[in-house]
Amino acid sequence: MAEKTCPVRTTVIYLSELIRSGGLTDPRGRRISEQILLLTEEIAEGAAGNDHLSAIDSLIEEYVYANSTETNLNTGKTLKGILSAHREVFQSHIETRNCPTHDCAKLAPSPCQMACPAGIDVPTYLGLIAEGKDAQAIEVIRRDNPLPWVCGLVCTRPCEMMCVRARIDTPISIKFLKAFAAERAMSDREYRNPEKKAFNGKTVCVIGAGPGGLSAAYYLALMGYGVRIIEALPVPGGMLMVAIPRYRLPKEVIDREVAMIEDLGVQISYNTRFGVDVTFDELKKQGVDAFFIAIGAHKSWSLDIKGEKEFPGVLDAVTFLQDVALGDYHTPGQHVVVVGGGNVAIDAARTSLRLGARKVTIAYRRSRNQMPADIEEVEQAEEEGIEFSFLTIPKEIKGENGIITGFDCIKAELIKKKGSDRLAPVPILGKDFTIPADAVICAIGQYVDDKGMEAFDGMSWTRRGTIEVNHASMETTMPGVFAAGDAVSGPATVIEAIGGGKRAADAIDRYLSHIPQPRMPKIPIRHTMNPPMEMSASRKMTLKRPKMPMLNVDRRRTTFQQVELGYDEASVRKEAGRCLRCDICRRCGKCVEICRDKMGIDALKLGYLDFDNPSETDFTVTKEKCITCGACAANCENKAIVIEEKDGQRLLKLCGTILNSQTIQYCEECHVILPSAEYMQFIAKKTGHVSRVKHNRLLCDACQRKLSAKVNVATRPILPKQTRE
Amino acid sequence: MQFQKGNKIEVYKASTDEAWEPYMNDFIGLHGFITDPDTTINDPDALIEVSLEGKGTHRLPQDCLRLIGHP
Repeated sequence: MAEKTCPVRTTVIYLSELIRSGGLTDPRGRRISEQILLLTEEIAEGAAGNDHLSAIDSLIEEYVYANSTETNLNTGKTLKGILSAHREVFQSHIETRNCPTHDCAKLAPSPCQMACPAGIDVPTYLGLIAEGKDAQAIEVIRRDNPLPWVCGLVCTRPCEMMCVRARIDTPISIKFLKAFAAERAMSDREYRNPEKKAFNGKTVCVIGAGPGGLSAAYYLALMGYGVRIIEALPVPGGMLMVAIPRYRLPKEVIDREVAMIEDLGVQISYNTRFGVDVTFDELKKQGVDAFFIAIGAHKSWSLDIKGEKEFPGVLDAVTFLQDVALGDYHTPGQHVVVVGGGNVAIDAARTSLRLGARKVTIAYRRSRNQMPADIEEVEQAEEEGIEFSFLTIPKEIKGENGIITGFDCIKAELIKKKGSDRLAPVPILGKDFTIPADAVICAIGQYVDDKGMEAFDGMSWTRRGTIEVNHASMETTMPGVFAAGDAVSGPATVIEAIGGGKRAADAIDRYLSHIPQPRMPKIPIRHTMNPPMEMSASRKMTLKRPKMPMLNVDRRRTTFQQVELGYDEASVRKEAGRCLRCDICRRCGKCVEICRDKMGIDALKLGYLDFDNPSETDFTVTKEKCITCGACAANCENKAIVIEEKDGQRLLKLCGTILNSQTIQYCEECHVILPSAEYMQFIAKKTGHVSRVKHNRLLCDACQRKLSAKVNVATRPILPKQTRE
Repeated sequence: MQFQKGNKIEVYKASTDEAWEPYMNDFIGLHGFITDPDTTINDPDALIEVSLEGKGTHRLPQDCLRLIGHP
């Protein structure tokens, strides 16, 4: 082991290579090694708990058993050696969550990957998409998210929020690139499941076939577990299928990706309500070893105003959207009022319009800029003709003979209440008004329906009415019962549910394998580091995020056809190439500091490196000042900035972007490669009194010394001592 | 609603909320963005999704966050 290499990192590399190379032919030895690798990775990431080291000790002992292979025994011996020699380093990683050599951060995930609740390796798959390798990109995505196509259409994309490119111009269009790759891979018949492990004899029951349940089922099936999903609805997808309208997420997309999961042997029992059609005791008797609850948050809050319970024309948004998703295409009314300001309200309004409503109004009690719905959704709704009534507090639903005639409201103003810096809507006395309506859809939020969950009597609920879990492992307070998704977080995002499902699958595997759970949610894993795409600085700066082509408004008002039509292939490849590859550059800023402060050159204008105070970035200015001295490259721990010599050119590249390119010069005497003329001038300025370039010739140091010596001998011969005196 | 999507925030203290878990103490002092605010009822008590630099995306109580920039 090299002296300055972190032993934790060395252990991770050693085990990863051992497992990848197929050197462990014995399944038991492989299983032990995989578990040790998992625990060591968590130590490297600072996510390990106090039991991790002792668990590794116990696992190492497990290598020794009757008929154990020589490789197993050697692996155990090697690991034991590392641990006994460097135990305090492992301990220090756990206690301080720090790696003194910084080796353990070398594969640190990029901000986009860190931001993704499922931890998808974004830069790697963007790099693959840029090269046209869509199927490989999908393979990378599915390591962390089994529903790339779905997410490519409906993800809330926290990754784009953290995208470093946004500090230069606009974030990379990560979401749509994912959708393109998934569709293309599916179309090319190259969207495939990875190989799953053989059945390990254990079965997990997943309650709910929404994104969280499907995600857990997928990863458990890959790990060799038998998985049975209990689903109350007649269709898979949960909220994906029944709450997100088809113009945003076509049914076929969900069906195709769910079918891929079923192909792994996952069984889905539809129209089966847990606690009614099948009970906890029955499932236990059938041999279920662990439960995963992903029941979502399907119950709508009510407005609690007069008239709400009197008219059949008052609907809750989730039931309304569910009925439409299941085939009921009747118009809710001619004049529909949707109450709420979130994405569900927008979905209900746009769906009503498509079902034939003449006028649809969204009534929201706060102002437009406080609407929690996605800005794109709000803009699309406006384009389609949805009207908004802001600062509107519902008062009463009025009607006659069971038919709604109007929706009484009061105008509100936003006022800071005492002791709070939040603006609260307060009704303005006398400012009552009526919105003509024959249907009212309530979309003010959802909560978890705990019906049927009584059997989990050891499970605690939070004061918010959600299931209490340890977020690192998604374990509930009842042993062997795990939960994730909206049932844990309250109404949240698809990608959070997917990430929670993946985390829970991992935790269930650890629970059933008796290995300790992590202390904190796992930091995403970099599986590979693909070489970056080479591109000129000016091209990198001038590429722009493409505009999304949209379906025409008339069709959007009348059909459920997908509104966002997707990018064309050329735009996709270009957009993927805009990625800065933050998986390679950690943005430590050392290169800029050295160039500016140590060398006094200041050729790197990389304002985007600063998270809190980004300044201007311009890759194209480097070539004006850079002398290709290589100080930046020599001090880059990650080799993000490098000097390369090829085809007669010396290139300075930052994650593939060519910041400077100079023609290589050769010594006129001996023909060795010389530094750039600019660099030689820079050195000559510094060392002018020591050595000079003679006769404007291009010479290497050695030849120059030789020439100087010759000149000196000829012009200043050494005289005898006495003569000099 | 105090926090909106895209707001730049700081986790400036530990929360007293039951949803605050010990590992979240590692987040104090970190900066990040609001990625999914309370999307429905503007409840100051709701947990909101925050992406923190170097620590990933988490759902946190609002009392531990303060605004340091607008979208």
